Amino acid sequence: MKIKLEILSASSICAKQEIEDLHTKILVPKMVTRRRLTRAAKMAIYLADHVSFTQGKIIYGSSFGELPATANILHAIQKEEGISPTHFQNSVYNTAVSYLSMLHENKEEILTVSSGDNTSEKVLKAGAIKALEGGTFLLLVTETLNIDAIDEVNTCHAHLESGAALKVRLSTETPTIDIKTLPVDKHLPASVQLLYALASTIKTTQKNIIEVAL
Amino acid sequence: MTTKNRVYLTSSTSLSCAGDSNQALFDNVVNGVTGIAKDPNYFDSATPAIGKFTQNYNFHKALVSQCQYILDLCQLEDFTDTLLIVGSSVGGMAETEKRFFKDKNYTNIDPNFHNIHTIAHVLKSHFDFYDDISFSTACTSSANAIGYAYEVLSKGLYKRVLVVGADSLTHTTIGGFLSLGVLSSAPCKPFDISRDGMNVAEAIACLLIETEPQQNCVEIKGVGYSSDAYHMTHPHPEGLGAISAMSSALRAANLDTEDIDYINAHGTGTSANDNAEANAIASLFGEHTPVSSTKAITGHTLGAAGALEAIISSLVLTEGILPQNTFLDKAENTDIALMKKSKISSVSYVLSNSFAFGGNNCSLIFGAVK
Repeated sequence: MKIKLEILSASSICAKQEIEDLHTKILVPKMVTRRRLTRAAKMAIYLADHVSFTQGKIIYGSSFGELPATANILHAIQKEEGISPTHFQNSVYNTAVSYLSMLHENKEEILTVSSGDNTSEKVLKAGAIKALEGGTFLLLVTETLNIDAIDEVNTCHAHLESGAALKVRLSTETPTIDIKTLPVDKHLPASVQLLYALASTIKTTQKNIIEVAL
Repeated sequence: MTTKNRVYLTSSTSLSCAGDSNQALFDNVVNGVTGIAKDPNYFDSATPAIGKFTQNYNFHKALVSQCQYILDLCQLEDFTDTLLIVGSSVGGMAETEKRFFKDKNYTNIDPNFHNIHTIAHVLKSHFDFYDDISFSTACTSSANAIGYAYEVLSKGLYKRVLVVGADSLTHTTIGGFLSLGVLSSAPCKPFDISRDGMNVAEAIACLLIETEPQQNCVEIKGVGYSSDAYHMTHPHPEGLGAISAMSSALRAANLDTEDIDYINAHGTGTSANDNAEANAIASLFGEHTPVSSTKAITGHTLGAAGALEAIISSLVLTEGILPQNTFLDKAENTDIALMKKSKISSVSYVLSNSFAFGGNNCSLIFGAVK
């Protein structure tokens, strides 16, 4: 079974350490909300803004989830210190899109996929399946690996923060992009590569149609 | 959603603090035998009551043996035509903790055994699946997995689905809920006026879901999703997200509120969650539909809860017994039909609720095969 999607708009971001300006002060005016946001939440808000998405279903993906919050909790336990409630509530994998939903009061279905290196591919598949119901929705991936001593375990990712967003809908038109032959940036986490490559490939002068094989 | 096929939960198995089999689980749920006990081994500062497996299982080996049990039970040769859908909130965190607390650095942490995908990674090293996908939406993870299974099968996109809801006990979750001040040091008492919190527990629940009915199966009638868009840990006090998810599930199942014979509540035993859910149930169902939470027996198995409670819901349908709210003495929420005693009853439809951090909501409806 193959399902075709039209990419209506796309955005991607990455940095070796930390993405410098995510426009968070502008996008999240309330300080009480802004100060609780994780890096992944700030990236999700930035990417969603770039594709002009506020309402609708979201399929979000991350292989490692909220790694900074997780690392903070591990260190607190190891040092026999109390765990920060904020770190704990921000450690679940659906944190980033939950803050995004709160910001825009988006009460639609929001799913979080975490399928290791294949997370982008599985986000696309889940998105294609959800697209059969109609509507415009958001496919989003982020990774935030920028924690102290990450080099002890990270030997392959040169970019520690990365993310991509696609606003999509179901299509019946002929594909214009072959996702199998897309050039991917090997410096990015594998979980981000496919959506990042798609976001980097789309052309504003033509329709961008992909075909997703289940 | 346009549906093509009917979808059936044909086989299942579970491992939890409430028993090593579905039958043990259901007997304990119905008879009020809790698997929750105080455990002093996690933190010096507190002794929360938690739900551990009845035996000292290796979690990864137990995962494999539960799936092998499904293969044997269904006399399937393999899972090569089966989509694996995992729902988990902690994945491999227990293994990460073990290595980090021993080494005090990350050097020996294997990413394949750290993240949510760990569950699928372990299973794929023992079985061949057609494909796999893992969901992690905190405490709705495996409810969402079942919902997704319902969608892909009803649309005719896959032949068969194995849903695995799995979460192990970790210092992170026990300590995290302690930090939020919501862990009880006794088995929880959902909806009781004297409740003092929840119990974190571990579980593995595996469900084979197909488009052809089998003996003693139940039908998955519908799923409803919503987001509260309200707060990271607190549900909307009026339960607006829960109302939306339950209403959506009823629409998907083409059923009315009066068709539902029993509601398996999310019912964690925390004041905020119980009140929001009770308000939502009261708003939609009034005080006519029997309601119970089974978490006093199983504990809150986090990402596995939706799958474990789907099994309980299926047994309510096949056994014809509505489970009680164990330890419920005086209900705070008097405008819903909370059951103090288990009751034999003819049951056609059951609604099961799962709610999570971030305001993620999922309601599932199961029905007797007609």
